[in-house]
Amino acid sequence: MTFGTTESKRLSMSRVLRSAQSYTVGLAVLAVGLVLTLLTNRFLRIDNVLNVLTNASVVAIVGLGMTLAIASGNFDLSVGSTAAFAGCVSMSLVPALGVPLAIVAGLVAGALVGLVNGLIMTELRVPAFITTLGMMSVVRGLALIYTGGRDIYLYGQTEYKVLSGGHLLGIPMPVLLALALAALLSSVLAQTRFGRHILAVGSNLPSARRSGVRTSQVLWGIFAIVGAAAALSGMIISAQVLTANGRLATGLELNAIAVVVVGGTALTGGKASLSGTLLGAVLVAMINNGLNLLNVPIFYQDLTVGLLLLVALALQVERGWNPLTQLRRTQ
Amino acid sequence: MTGSAQAIPQATSRRGLDWDVMWERYGISAVLVVVWAIAALTLPNFASRDNLLNVLRQSSFVGVAAVGMTVAIIAGTFDLSVGSTLGLAAWVAVAVAARWGVLAAMLAGVATGTVVGSINGLLVSRVRIPAFITTLGMLFIVRGFHYVITNGDSARFNGKSFIWLGNGTIAGLPVPFWIFLLCAALAAAVLAYTSFGRYVYAVGSNSEAALVAGVPLRRITALVFVVIGAFTGLAGVLIGARLYSAAPGLEPGFELNVIATVVLGGTRLAGGRGSMLGTVAAASLFVTLTNILNLAHADPFMQKVAVGLVLLVALSIEGIRQRLAERLARS
Repeated sequence: MTFGTTESKRLSMSRVLRSAQSYTVGLAVLAVGLVLTLLTNRFLRIDNVLNVLTNASVVAIVGLGMTLAIASGNFDLSVGSTAAFAGCVSMSLVPALGVPLAIVAGLVAGALVGLVNGLIMTELRVPAFITTLGMMSVVRGLALIYTGGRDIYLYGQTEYKVLSGGHLLGIPMPVLLALALAALLSSVLAQTRFGRHILAVGSNLPSARRSGVRTSQVLWGIFAIVGAAAALSGMIISAQVLTANGRLATGLELNAIAVVVVGGTALTGGKASLSGTLLGAVLVAMINNGLNLLNVPIFYQDLTVGLLLLVALALQVERGWNPLTQLRRTQ
Repeated sequence: MTGSAQAIPQATSRRGLDWDVMWERYGISAVLVVVWAIAALTLPNFASRDNLLNVLRQSSFVGVAAVGMTVAIIAGTFDLSVGSTLGLAAWVAVAVAARWGVLAAMLAGVATGTVVGSINGLLVSRVRIPAFITTLGMLFIVRGFHYVITNGDSARFNGKSFIWLGNGTIAGLPVPFWIFLLCAALAAAVLAYTSFGRYVYAVGSNSEAALVAGVPLRRITALVFVVIGAFTGLAGVLIGARLYSAAPGLEPGFELNVIATVVLGGTRLAGGRGSMLGTVAAASLFVTLTNILNLAHADPFMQKVAVGLVLLVALSIEGIRQRLAERLARS
């Protein structure tokens, strides 16, 4: 689903292009899948497919939150640190609170980090880029201080593994969580006032403010969601190895932004393609998996992600669009 | 273009000194002096010759790249690929130094950066991919390329003159710091006295107006990326010489450190305004801060928290002052 605010005839052409973009990612997923099926005999095996989808989900969950941030014309560079912080907090609380409450605590920790991001942006008027850049460093430091730089293990508390290893009807839990989050955020965007306000803030902040949108509250909400999504990813990553530490999920922010952009959400704001983000994450995970199956050295994965980004964007660049105004528009 | 009067804000206005502009221009330098004074009085080892030389030396590596990034951010854009470029240039410099000597190593390192910068510039100005995505893609591509060509192995060379480049002193000051100062002075002069410099400010203040006024927007954009590539290449040479070895994946997160330095130095992320003096002071301030925390035996992880907080506090001041002014105007 692609959501947009401006619905005028003049824009119908770009709307067509936008939905074409969503199909492009889908087609790319099918094409890469076909190629990998032909080249390897393991790609289409059910365990491999589930593995690819699980890997995709971890990035997709952060990416879905990031999609809202980008749709509102902002970024969140602090998600990697937030994921680590929430993973550590949650895991350390398992012995005291039990698994369900510890997971809730992790989500709350993530949402709180996001809320602080939002408050710094609206109350101290620091641009999102700087706010989240600063918080990236602060929260990473806090995660490292909280754990004393050591690993947190969960001996015998394997119920925590439900986040990464659980299944429902054969579908791994991370995939279910990613799909559920996508469905939830879709309905928020399509059916709630908050959702419409997110897109309004992203397409034109001053006019949204003038027409009575409480832009500050909208931003707090968005960043709290991004924080909670990052926390969920962080907890899944820690559950996979039943270990959390302050170095977890380093660099996650740029990977998350990459899948959102490959998925077709424009950096200029005002539009969100949640399905595109899911597909973007699947595409990247498929390519990485394919390279592994083909015994290509792991070093090539960076190369392909980079090329994918550039090709995806080269295809979606609007004509007459001035790249130099991009940064200003996102602030 | 008619002069730079409008591009470079004047320090005085009708009501005397404009504190905003004064803070933007000299604030960080003043803070640096105060921090040095306090540290010298309270920490016994801070003012020792070796420690100060170390602070200046360490500030040079991020600093040289930050000189280029200052130009880019004034032009309203930025470059996320500098971390990968730094690593590749450092490796090239070490490998070349081992065979053809220091001068060739410097040239090769700078050339490496220039090539990456040219690719960035072409992609942004010709293919019109937004700078954020172009340089994010190139971050992955250059790092991947580096791993692929080296297979993850590091280069080492401990020739005397090469080590001197990173670790020696001239007239009592570290060689990298001299180079950093030269770069900053050169870039400041180019920004202030050449048509390229005026165009950079013009493009950064209002790229559409600059285009209408006849500024060769595409060429300036491309050149800005070449400039930052060249400076990053030089920073890579220096860090290679400092460590006399270079491995892929050197300095993760370097790009964000460089951007944080430039922004802390008072250059506006929105473009059009900025100063090289601020960048030099900010580079030293970040290193001073880590140094002070080390000397005070603080938790090493506290450094990350402090670095983030300093960025947030420095960038909040303007917003807080704005809010106070608004409140006064209302009452």
